[in-house]
Amino acid sequence: MSKPILETRDLAKNFGALAVTDNVNFALAPGARHAIIGPNGAGKTTLINLLTGALSPSSGSVYLAGGDITGMAEYQRVKNGIARTFQINTLFMGLSVIENLYLAISERMGVATSLVRPAGKDSAVMEEAVRILNILKLEEDSLTEIHELPYGRQRLVEIAIALALDPKVLLLDEPAAGVPTTESHIILDAVDSLPKDIAVLIIEHDMDVVFRFAERITVLVRGAILAEGSPDDIAANEEVQAVYLGEGSHD
Amino acid sequence: MTAITGADTAATAEAVKFLQTRHRFHWAEVLPWVIAIAVFYLLPGYRLLATQILVMILFALSLDLIVGYAGIISLGHTAFFGTGAYITALLAANNIPDPLIGLVAAAIGAAVLGFLSGWVLLRTAGLTLLVLTMAVTIMLGELANDFDEITGGFDGINFTNSEIFGLIEIDQLWYTSSYIYVLVVLFLSFLLIRTIVHAPFGRMLIGIRENTKRMSAIGTPVHQRQVLVYVISAAIAGIAGALWVQVQGNVTTGVYAFELSGDVLIMIILGGTGRLYGAFIGATVFKILESLTEQILGTNQPYWQLTIGIVLILTVLFARRGLYGIFEDIGEKWKDRSQ
Ligand SMILES: Nc1ncnc2c1ncn2[C@@H]1O[C@H](COP(=O)(O)OP(=O)(O)OP(=O)(O)O)[C@@H](O)[C@H]1O
Ligand SMILES: [Mg+2]
Repeated sequence: MSKPILETRDLAKNFGALAVTDNVNFALAPGARHAIIGPNGAGKTTLINLLTGALSPSSGSVYLAGGDITGMAEYQRVKNGIARTFQINTLFMGLSVIENLYLAISERMGVATSLVRPAGKDSAVMEEAVRILNILKLEEDSLTEIHELPYGRQRLVEIAIALALDPKVLLLDEPAAGVPTTESHIILDAVDSLPKDIAVLIIEHDMDVVFRFAERITVLVRGAILAEGSPDDIAANEEVQAVYLGEGSHD
Repeated sequence: MTAITGADTAATAEAVKFLQTRHRFHWAEVLPWVIAIAVFYLLPGYRLLATQILVMILFALSLDLIVGYAGIISLGHTAFFGTGAYITALLAANNIPDPLIGLVAAAIGAAVLGFLSGWVLLRTAGLTLLVLTMAVTIMLGELANDFDEITGGFDGINFTNSEIFGLIEIDQLWYTSSYIYVLVVLFLSFLLIRTIVHAPFGRMLIGIRENTKRMSAIGTPVHQRQVLVYVISAAIAGIAGALWVQVQGNVTTGVYAFELSGDVLIMIILGGTGRLYGAFIGATVFKILESLTEQILGTNQPYWQLTIGIVLILTVLFARRGLYGIFEDIGEKWKDRSQ
């Protein structure tokens, strides 16, 4: 494996006595297609929160392109190329789709504190917003406020915002969660067509999706890495099978 | 309008056009200023009340920036109003009577207080923040009372302003030039605030109001930005406080009255938050109601509090977006019909 773009060393997070992240040594390669699987409550979302800086670890460290970012604030990590989507939609519900993108892009381009020129007059930001709308085929909903959109369309906006941040690393927390299976392919197609140079880490419960998408899979159980390897390795791993036969049923 | 590459569908073109033109002035925006000038000429007997309303509009606008736009709820905005008021008065009483210097000093002083208190307080949110902002204001009010040798206590300090640009005297009796002075300062401040809220900065504030968690996740240093808008808001509140005492030539510790923090919050809720003109309507309705209640029912506090309480309940129940929301709805209907 080439030098990792994102890496954790002995990363741990406790909530009280509960070890939710348990000495995790994890590496994400540049341009990777990597999946994390694991039962409910395994600590997958917590791991993403530690990677983005939304949570700070109890011990251990996080590295981005070799540099220690353990103490770096969440917003600063975003500026350094880490973007994420949320398991539960976390959007600007009262704003339109294009405005959701506008906010992300103006922040990325460093114009979010400009005080004088009317917001819409910044053509660079507007062009980028339109480009992202086109990529995710959200054109028709440009001016629709998020709360008026069906949940599945809202999930697309989650991805759109992350893309608007022009990330090096994209962390997708169950991008199709809560979407009817008849519509989830729209979201998974969007995930499939993400630019190849972005390293993508996806948390996903649907094994078909995982095995089709991922080149590498990490299995997380009770906060610790149980197994890691290629899809074939994981499929053949007996410990993993035991977990999924034993615990996977209550998913 | 600049063409935007890629906006090829009707929907994206419409969205782009909407964002590109949203800041433009609507003809109806001349109304407040026409009314203000009409009042000056047609109702000279009400200039004192009208002047107070103009100052309160500015104070309410400053609060709307943090409450209505950035979603920072404060019950302590009089801290900045009072500080601006005292800085101006103390300067004037100590041989720096130039009203414009007074305004600038008030803005800077209030901004510094905004920075110091905001940096600490804005690490909290919601109810905690509400209580802390309240505590700071009450504390400053107490300090002002304790140090009555400097502040003049309840009796206050009298002072005189020098002429504006060495030419125009602020008359404290007939509210002629002083009315115009307040109106001009309000107008310029409003233009500034309006520009800010339509700029990317204003959009960013709305993002913070809508979802701080998402704001952090798109790379926004939320705390820094909250402090920034708090400082701007404090400076404007300081200017409002300065105007309030300049036109009276007197300052008392009343400018730190905690009740005023509540009043100004009620004004913007009444008028409608996050839409600037809500401050105009809210402050006007509030002050007129206050004066009417006093005239009809006497200055007994309970009546006034009962009146404003009922009006507030009605607003919250039947006009969620405030009185300005009702105007917006009428405007929409009118537009639909004329199409
Ligand atoms: N802020 C918190 N405080 C206390 N416990 C927490 C907190 N956040 C998560 N937990 C607990 O940590 C464990 C792991 O949660 P996490 O959300 O990371 O799991 P997950 O693998 O993402 O699960 P799911 O598949 O249901 O999304 C759970 O037992 C959860 O209850
Ligand atoms: Mg989760």
